[in-house]
Amino acid sequence: MVKFAPMAAWSPVGEALALGLASGPACIASCGPVLVPSMLAEHSGVRLNARYLAMFLSTRLLGYLLFALIAWQAGSVALPPASRSTVFGTVHLLLAVVLVFYARSVGRTGCEAGCTQPKLVTIGAGGHGVPAAAALGLFSGISLCPPFVAAGVRAAELASASAALLFFATFFVGTSIWFIPLLGFGCLRRNPAIITVARMCMVLIALYYGYAGVMILLGRNIRAS
Amino acid sequence: MHPEAKLRPQEPRKLSSALLLTLPIFLWAALIFSRSFAPPNDRVVKIAAVITAAFMVVLFFQMMRTRSTYRWRRIFFVTLGVLFPVGFIHEVMVLRGSMGIPMEEMIAGRTPFCFMPIPMLILPAALTRAVVFPGSILPHGGMSGGGMASMVGIWLAMTLVLGKGWCSYACFFGGIEEGCASLPNRPALRKLDPRWRYGPWAVLLSMVLLSLALFEPAYCMWLCPFKAVSEYVAANDALGMVQNGIFIVLFAALVVALPLLTKKRTQCAYFCPFGAFQSIFNKTSIFDVKIDKSRCVPCNLCQNACPTLSLSKDSISDGGTLLSCMKCGACVDACPRQAAVWHIKGTPLSIKPERARLMFLYCAWAMATMFGGSTIAQGLQPILHFFL
Repeated sequence: MVKFAPMAAWSPVGEALALGLASGPACIASCGPVLVPSMLAEHSGVRLNARYLAMFLSTRLLGYLLFALIAWQAGSVALPPASRSTVFGTVHLLLAVVLVFYARSVGRTGCEAGCTQPKLVTIGAGGHGVPAAAALGLFSGISLCPPFVAAGVRAAELASASAALLFFATFFVGTSIWFIPLLGFGCLRRNPAIITVARMCMVLIALYYGYAGVMILLGRNIRAS
Repeated sequence: MHPEAKLRPQEPRKLSSALLLTLPIFLWAALIFSRSFAPPNDRVVKIAAVITAAFMVVLFFQMMRTRSTYRWRRIFFVTLGVLFPVGFIHEVMVLRGSMGIPMEEMIAGRTPFCFMPIPMLILPAALTRAVVFPGSILPHGGMSGGGMASMVGIWLAMTLVLGKGWCSYACFFGGIEEGCASLPNRPALRKLDPRWRYGPWAVLLSMVLLSLALFEPAYCMWLCPFKAVSEYVAANDALGMVQNGIFIVLFAALVVALPLLTKKRTQCAYFCPFGAFQSIFNKTSIFDVKIDKSRCVPCNLCQNACPTLSLSKDSISDGGTLLSCMKCGACVDACPRQAAVWHIKGTPLSIKPERARLMFLYCAWAMATMFGGSTIAQGLQPILHFFL
């Protein structure tokens, strides 16, 4: 006779999936300033943009899991204020730096419009470049967005590290479904105007993240409250 | 200048014809400003209404008489740009004693709504069914005026008809820079990188995304140059200092210094996200400006005259303007061969362009009289109070 795991064991998984699905719009809103202009700056093609999105989401998952481990170790997502300022201020500054480098690197892939196998934009020197999508995904994953806090609080209550990781992974799957429509960017035909707008947009958003990073590190409010 | 592009001024219209063509606007202005004569309005309100109505009618008459559009529209637009802050600041000072809006007023939903954040409200409203602006949807009294619903309604109705004509006939922010741009005889800065034309789209995209992420109208909070002459967040901390510093620097650079140096509306051409959003509605408007290639000699007079860099060599050779055209009429007036013409979509260019101009101007001036005229009258009132 087959024995099924008790329902109680599966309930956190269902809960994480439901939480992820419900939090999807907030995740899109939170990652939008990084994701949308950077995807627009890439070449056309659904396959290339799917690669970009997959890389962004997988490194974002890596960021999530890293944070889940820390949360479970600490027993809470609420880090001490000093550590919190340092971590999140630094992450904001890193996002700003990556966005600026990304804006600079666009168009230097050596693959102009019409090439058969366009590559993802990389940042860094020569052959040692890192795909910008990976860096942006990782830093977006570590930065603390509201749905992430909700998932983090719940994960911290679970009995084991593996349960916390499973909770976060399922939560990630739930939120990722909301990112699928962004593949539509691959169908947009890129022209110099769209690329220029995307690059300018990345610089503007980098300015905001840079400001936010400095203010967080200084322990000041970044928004009126 | 191209040798064939000699100036051939158009014949002025007959006085009787010009008067007859002005009659509808006279009646419209009388209808709009007759409200000011209802009790309990005082003498100053009535005088301001009469002056404004006469001002609008005389300018329209001059447009009809001289057949030129731009210079008369510019007088209206600069007046609107200057008098809007006068009326607004006066009202703010009377109500609050300060240009700064306190946090309590925002929480109470009494922030006055302008059209600028409209594009930034759409995505948050679609995803969360929340309006990320601390104002009231319905009329609320005080500085919130008619509420967001009426402002969005007025804007949408006008925009669907006029497209980006809104930016030349209704926007109360563009007048100051147009005034500054008109002051020098020649531009000190001539070579402008055409890529900056994409600036408004980049600001629009970034502000839409940040508004969604931060759940606040990011442009109003961070980048609106006109906060320097209207209203700012009354914050006495580092945040407030940063915000107000940005507003002042942007105003000084984009609205004063660069227009003086370039003779262009630089804030509109390089920065304004609402202008970029408004450009999309040039697709819905039935009015546009065309270049009749059979008449055009490429003298570039129209391109130089355009205050918003909405003409390029490519667009001229394609027989039209760029999407950012504000329908101000500068290129039409500047063309000595009448190659730049007003046009109604779907009709051949051979149909008299003056008819298209008249149809556009009736719509645009009716809007200008109702929307801009009311703002001008409001700005005149504190000045008249001072003298009377």
